[in-house]
Amino acid sequence: MGVDLAQFHEAFFEESFEAIESMEASLLKLDVAAPDAETINTIFRVAHSIKGGAGMFNFTDIASFTHTLETLLDGVRAGRTRLSTAIMDLLLKSVDVMREMLRGAQRKETFDPQRVADLQFDLEVAVANNAAAAPAAAAAPAPAAPAPAEPAAASATETVTAAPPSAPTEWLISVRPLENMLSRGNEPLALFAALAEHGELTLTVDLRELPALEAIEAHRCYLSWQVRLTSAVGKERIREAFEWVEGDCDYRITCAAPPDGAAAAAPAPQPAVAEVAAPEAPPPAPALAEPAPAQSATPAPSAETPAASRAAARTEAAPAASGGDATSIRVSTQKIDELINTVGEVVITQSMLAQLGADAEGPSAERLRSGLAQLERNVRELHESVMRVRMLPIGFAFSRFPRLVRDVAQRLGKQIELKLTGEQTELDKTVLERIGDPLVHLVRNSIDHGIEKPEARLAAGKPAAGTVHLEAFHRGSAIIIEVSDDGQGLDSDRILAKARARGLIAPNETPSQEAIHELIFLPGFSTAEQTTDLSGRGVGMDVVRRNIKSLGGKIDIRSERGKGSRFTISLPLTLAIVDGQSVSVGDETYIVPLVSIVESLQTKESGVNRLSMAGEVISFRGAYLPLVRLHDLFGIEPRSRAIHDGLVVVVEGDGQRVGLFVDDLRGQQQVVIKSLESNYGHVQGVSGATILGDGSVALILDVPGLIRSTSSRREAA
Amino acid sequence: MDAVEKSSATTIGTVALSPDAVLRLPPQCTIRDATQLLGQLMLRLEHSAPVYIDAAKVERIDTAALQLLVAFLADRKARRRAVVWLECSEGLMRAAGALGLTGALALAAAS
Repeated sequence: MGVDLAQFHEAFFEESFEAIESMEASLLKLDVAAPDAETINTIFRVAHSIKGGAGMFNFTDIASFTHTLETLLDGVRAGRTRLSTAIMDLLLKSVDVMREMLRGAQRKETFDPQRVADLQFDLEVAVANNAAAAPAAAAAPAPAAPAPAEPAAASATETVTAAPPSAPTEWLISVRPLENMLSRGNEPLALFAALAEHGELTLTVDLRELPALEAIEAHRCYLSWQVRLTSAVGKERIREAFEWVEGDCDYRITCAAPPDGAAAAAPAPQPAVAEVAAPEAPPPAPALAEPAPAQSATPAPSAETPAASRAAARTEAAPAASGGDATSIRVSTQKIDELINTVGEVVITQSMLAQLGADAEGPSAERLRSGLAQLERNVRELHESVMRVRMLPIGFAFSRFPRLVRDVAQRLGKQIELKLTGEQTELDKTVLERIGDPLVHLVRNSIDHGIEKPEARLAAGKPAAGTVHLEAFHRGSAIIIEVSDDGQGLDSDRILAKARARGLIAPNETPSQEAIHELIFLPGFSTAEQTTDLSGRGVGMDVVRRNIKSLGGKIDIRSERGKGSRFTISLPLTLAIVDGQSVSVGDETYIVPLVSIVESLQTKESGVNRLSMAGEVISFRGAYLPLVRLHDLFGIEPRSRAIHDGLVVVVEGDGQRVGLFVDDLRGQQQVVIKSLESNYGHVQGVSGATILGDGSVALILDVPGLIRSTSSRREAA
Repeated sequence: MDAVEKSSATTIGTVALSPDAVLRLPPQCTIRDATQLLGQLMLRLEHSAPVYIDAAKVERIDTAALQLLVAFLADRKARRRAVVWLECSEGLMRAAGALGLTGALALAAAS
């Protein structure tokens, strides 16, 4: 049975995409004038790791491209290549191409080979230019050589400005693959090739664990090696070669001595099978292309017990790997969603039991209620814990912006400083995935329309560089994301003129500033003088608002001419639960999301007016609101039709308010949303359903949808 | 792809060998087909006549395949039976060298 390496492809892709994200973030952090050595090291490691993985899995195009990229990066970190804006552009383009190549490989499609070839050529030219410039660089004072005595303590800087070839160190590396290393696609050949890039490599294989052929498992690795590496690089650099085999291979790196030092280096191990020539075959020639297995009688270091050796190697393992692997696991979102669904069912069952317990009588009733109260606490904790599993820091959505802002600002000839705040604020994974595009649109708009060109800013007494600020924070049970800029703000006069020209506003009507700003959310509304590929087509802000609404959120704008704009997005913490107000209509219960409720009030018959065009309206804080009788809307017999017998819940959605007439308010509670569409079908004005404690089903109102359907009915009437 | 190419009668000098006596390694000799290679080696383990390995076409060989060959050579040696390399590709020599297995595979002689 062959091993299908394809089963590891997905893990490789996932890890590579994450690594590319971190590479891009690191690149954007780099100060071209004074690059940070550790950041360059991080970037190099990503290219190196992807190259290794791509090679192992036979993605030859990716391996070849990343090899060229790695060569350029190696020059940067060794100080041979001076970082410049042109090199930065090349590196960022390489990030894009690598990402696309990986996506192509993942989808089993070929990524534009010409684009790859062109960029690879540019990288090669950059490498060649650096090679040509190298002698000049060599004239500069050489960096201090790291002390070979304690390489582990060598700082990252020392690693980057690696010792010149004149001061190599001899490293002893024991490599013991764990039994699954080969079947997981990790190939010792690739590992040794990576080590050989650092210097002269001699190795001795230990065959003592290799069983007889009939006992062998074809996919298990029985070999181990003692490697002697003479190199000027530090321990951390050597460790990098092991990044892709972490968890599949025990290894230990120790410093022997400089080559001209005492010959008291660790004794060479003795392989159990030194030569295996068949009697009839000619004996092996004494001079071997590789170092011959040592024949010394000195005890081999691998004579220690495998367990002890493994423990030692683990201690040596890179802290990031040991810490990270031990404290986190990858779980598919499908499994998490199944778990959340099950916990949702438990919440409902617990709620039903609580209701039964409340009605229970008899000697055990009190104990039952006490137990049920405990169950309720536990279930609530369980529910909260499970919901937290789906929460991710918004930093994942923010991470694309440094690059985007840099590119867009460059194209528009603007100077932009991007500020990110509250990146650790967590929100539901689905919300996070779907908020990305609206945020991109808002940030692009800020740069394109908001921030002025440097000369205009200076003329207005502002700093040449504009600021775009992305901020996330919690407010109550909502997540607030604000996108603000210190640009020119919205031009209310132009918006109003455009609205009047399009007949959206009557010529004699003078709306408030807020109402004027709201106009930008209308479909097809744009005041941009020139349509660019970035914005100005007027197909954006309405889509932004619609997308945010589909997440149960809302977006508001505040803008001041000459000072800037601030878009405030309010999103629910999670899509799976909603804070709701239960209201009763006849025998039915409905849930009104708390986020939509403005106020609840009782009114008299005299407070209701009937207008011929608008139907019933109520007076509310100096304005007239349409009155929606829920019993009419859903065709239910109410407890009473008299307005003074019930309550009016004023709700807001899509910037409009209506009064919902209901029989009574029942209570506020968190409800688990069940999709009505997947279980039944779409119902206008209803966003989902939930199961109440008594087992009955309550519909959750979709307030914006309900307002829309009410408006269209009235217009039709 | 088969791990081991179908053997056909091979002539070495003037001696005609039976197909079973020659093991032809395929261009891609990797863990993917290691189980098949193990089967082919097991078939030949007890052959009293020398087993000839033809590695002329090997372009890529990995650790899993090489360690099977090492074990085969060791077991044959323990049985006092011969293994003869007919021809070794550059790819095989390089991989064996990189893993420190040239000696264990008696490839220095073959080269």
